[in-house]
Amino acid sequence: MGKYGKIAQLQEMLSSGEISCTELTKKYLSVIGKENGALNAYINVTADAALKTAAEVDKDIAAGKELAPLEGIPMALKDNISTKGMETTCCSKILGGYVPIYDATVWSVLKNQKAVLLGKTNMDEFAMGSSCETSCHGGAKNPHNLKRVAGGSSGGAASAVSGNLAAYALGSDTGGSIRQPASFCGAVGFKPTYGTVSRYGLIAYASSFDQIGPIASSVEDAARVYDVISVYDKMDSTSSGQKEPVLPALENDIRGKKIGIVKEYFDGVRSDVKEALLKAADVFHSLGAETVEFSMPSIHYSLPVYYILACAEASSNLGRYDGIRYGYQTEHYTSRNEMICKTRSEGFGAEVKRRILLGTYVLSSGYYDAYYKKAQDLRGAIVQAFDGAFSKCDVILAPTVPMTAFPENYAAKDPVETYQTDICTVPVNIAGLPAVSVPCGFGSDGMPVGMQILGPKFSESTVLNFANMYESAARETSFKDTGMGVSL
Amino acid sequence: MVTHEEILKIANLAKLSVTPEELDSLTEDMNKIIGFADTINAASSDKSTDFDNINGLSNVLREDSAELSYSRDDILKNAEDSEDGYFVVRRRR
Repeated sequence: MGKYGKIAQLQEMLSSGEISCTELTKKYLSVIGKENGALNAYINVTADAALKTAAEVDKDIAAGKELAPLEGIPMALKDNISTKGMETTCCSKILGGYVPIYDATVWSVLKNQKAVLLGKTNMDEFAMGSSCETSCHGGAKNPHNLKRVAGGSSGGAASAVSGNLAAYALGSDTGGSIRQPASFCGAVGFKPTYGTVSRYGLIAYASSFDQIGPIASSVEDAARVYDVISVYDKMDSTSSGQKEPVLPALENDIRGKKIGIVKEYFDGVRSDVKEALLKAADVFHSLGAETVEFSMPSIHYSLPVYYILACAEASSNLGRYDGIRYGYQTEHYTSRNEMICKTRSEGFGAEVKRRILLGTYVLSSGYYDAYYKKAQDLRGAIVQAFDGAFSKCDVILAPTVPMTAFPENYAAKDPVETYQTDICTVPVNIAGLPAVSVPCGFGSDGMPVGMQILGPKFSESTVLNFANMYESAARETSFKDTGMGVSL
Repeated sequence: MVTHEEILKIANLAKLSVTPEELDSLTEDMNKIIGFADTINAASSDKSTDFDNINGLSNVLREDSAELSYSRDDILKNAEDSEDGYFVVRRRR
């Protein structure tokens, strides 16, 4: 495979005996001990379990067994992915002390392969945020510049991967939560087609948008992880699984293929980000692909449509936190109603409360038709607009975020201003499409810029093929090692 | 404009309590957010797209047969309080 695959490289080192899995795991745990204080990428390090798995992997190697695709690779999970026997909190006070009694399907699949879990990563509370700063543990920092945020909501996962504190991580993407932090941290973030990766055990934010996917340091690694986790799961009623592996398609010729450039995706995008995207388009031209420009006016409505529908779903999903069955319960109360209200008001952070209130408002009597129903209609219109767009091109090239990583303490500003930075990522979730964010250079501030490649439903092999061809041609000028963490 | 009264009503529906000190700033935030949500009204709504679900999936039903699930003890492990296999909510604390 390609020369940038870290997972393949690590597995080669393991099976050749260059390093044992226990040594490799200790190496990661040791740098986490030294550098996580500055990055705040992990909120829980699971050293004992990691070393136990590593010892089992070493036994497999000693017995001459062929390694499973992700066996022995040190990795991390976002803290909204349930891990049996290990605290899972969504970085919220309301889930403090909650220890799941079952594994999320993605984790049980990886566990069966003897993936080495280093720990759970930091995130915006319940995945609601764009900076990781709504986390009850404070935000994760950006390894490219510690004064900048890692992004959100999977900020800890992106920070851990970019800071070489994990070989890869799983995040979740409801409105951009894998792609945006990957873009900010100069990593590859892949949000697959809705339904291809099971959501069972992913603590719900907005169920018709939520999707698990990998954050990795190369397209090849993201593809490798995706191939393992995209299995049909009867425990998720929306599960479709994946038909064919994507890894064999990564190096397909893209000559003569068409890349759509949608005008609306570039509205309000910072000039240095736009410039990096235009250079990326030139790289695709040099690889023999063509670009076609067109307009998709309905993209303009995607932000309010997303926030109305996602918050409506959140207000329902988060209704389960009542302090009785799990998590935080208030200290003093005089009635059951007061117990529930106080538990929720003390347990949820400000952003989560705002989204629950918006969701409750748009679903309430007298407002349902004007907001929820209308937004659902527009969701259908956006789906149709993408169907039309993909009759003109194979994939669409767009910025991931209109800017580079924000300075720290960004979340303190006006909530709507923060929501508006999600403009380039939410359309994909509205339509359930696959999209990958790939580093494509640096802004005038020296911070990484990410581009998105998006395609029709179930076209993961196509979008990852384009992404990989770009990376192979332009990795030298688009990616930068942060010099942190484990160096191989 | 969303009023203080509406915010309190919505908060009650959502089982959130709002202190008098929080009410002004929360109402201000919610007015901004709802103003932002209102921008969808500019979109024409002459035709309904009958959006149902994202992948056009339909229900798949399994046989209605009893299967093992989690044990009661496991389910109660995360509860603040339990007794004789039940969740307990104390009358006052």
